[in-house]
Amino acid sequence: MRPVRTFALGTALAATLWAQQFQFNLDYLSSKASNSFDVSLNTSMLQFAARFLDTKDPDEAKVKKLIVGIEGIYIKSFEFKNPGGYAPADLEKVRTQLKAPEWSRIVGMKSGGESENIEVWARNEKGKVTGVAILASEPRQLTVANLVGNIDLESLADLGGHFGLPNLPKAPKKK
Amino acid sequence: MVFSVAWHFLHDRGLAEETAQDVFLSLHRNLADIETPAHAAFWLRKVAVQRSIDAARKRQRRPQVPLEDVAEPSVRPAPGDPMLGGMLRRLIATLPEMPRMAMILRYQEDLDPAEIAATMGIPLGTVKSHIQRSLGLLREKLERRGVGER
Amino acid sequence: MDWLEQELADALARKEPAAGFDGRVRARLHRGPRWLAAAAAVLVVVGGGEAWRQYRGELAKEQVMTAMRIAGSKLNRVQVQLKGTEQ
Repeated sequence: MRPVRTFALGTALAATLWAQQFQFNLDYLSSKASNSFDVSLNTSMLQFAARFLDTKDPDEAKVKKLIVGIEGIYIKSFEFKNPGGYAPADLEKVRTQLKAPEWSRIVGMKSGGESENIEVWARNEKGKVTGVAILASEPRQLTVANLVGNIDLESLADLGGHFGLPNLPKAPKKK
Repeated sequence: MVFSVAWHFLHDRGLAEETAQDVFLSLHRNLADIETPAHAAFWLRKVAVQRSIDAARKRQRRPQVPLEDVAEPSVRPAPGDPMLGGMLRRLIATLPEMPRMAMILRYQEDLDPAEIAATMGIPLGTVKSHIQRSLGLLREKLERRGVGER
Repeated sequence: MDWLEQELADALARKEPAAGFDGRVRARLHRGPRWLAAAAAVLVVVGGGEAWRQYRGELAKEQVMTAMRIAGSKLNRVQVQLKGTEQ
């Protein structure tokens, strides 16, 4: 019995490694949005997609390299015709989950008279970064992203420009 | 396949294309759930059937005329005559929705009654009854016009 | 199949939509240019195993690229802001 049970447990554990690390619960915004983007890509889908990335295309080549460390990509992004399409509480529900001890906010940004707000959170487990959360909001746009795995943030930001994040904090010490 | 099901069912090219477009857009939205090409074909056929029937109901321009009441054409086509094909298509178009779709799936898609039942979501016995009755009515109509096997 | 059934099979043979049908489907998808290529592949979905696999791969690729661009653009915005603060 023991080998079977261990296998089942191991499989369950492996299955969760790439799983989304926090819940979005934002599907209801799709009906109000003028445009929405919704993607859930686990490890096998990322590996499958990687086979179709053309290394002769500079962007696709960069992404192909990035995918190596990524185990899952989960993004929901909404555009609204008018401000007020989503409520602050919608984002707060997500942010509350990131207050768990394994998450720490590494950078936050407000601009445009505080109308644009972007937060980047990192998930630390046993001294390693195992995921990143991005919460981005503007009056007519809302994006929530969870990238699971060892994310090369600098290379990722390269897709739109260079990036120099402050050093990621060490895993919080257990009290 | 999708457009063809819609066209033979609705007999309206514009509405058939609109319906077919809706089916493909729906496929695109549900793509993650499609496992294999065979599953895709089944899914497309099923949704094409549903959307075509929905489109016909919304249209309500042409009241359904029982097959028995369809006026007979003045020219007598013979088997193998392209005009016979046109007559048959018109006669099929006048069938009530469910028998009409069953006939299209049987003779356009070459599905067997069990497959038709699964696609339309109706009992196998009902499918067989629709096909048998429709064939019977078509034969009767054609024989009255002197059109039959030589 | 008797003669009537054969006539029915001939009469109900598949009809093709008017030229440009796939373009009209793509237009209704309202995606950016990269998605159009993937959307066109919807129409080969019943073409067979390899066409199906190719389509799934193209779609997955487009999803990955768009996801990375969205995430990358947000991170880049933060970078721009940080650089502006440091100066």
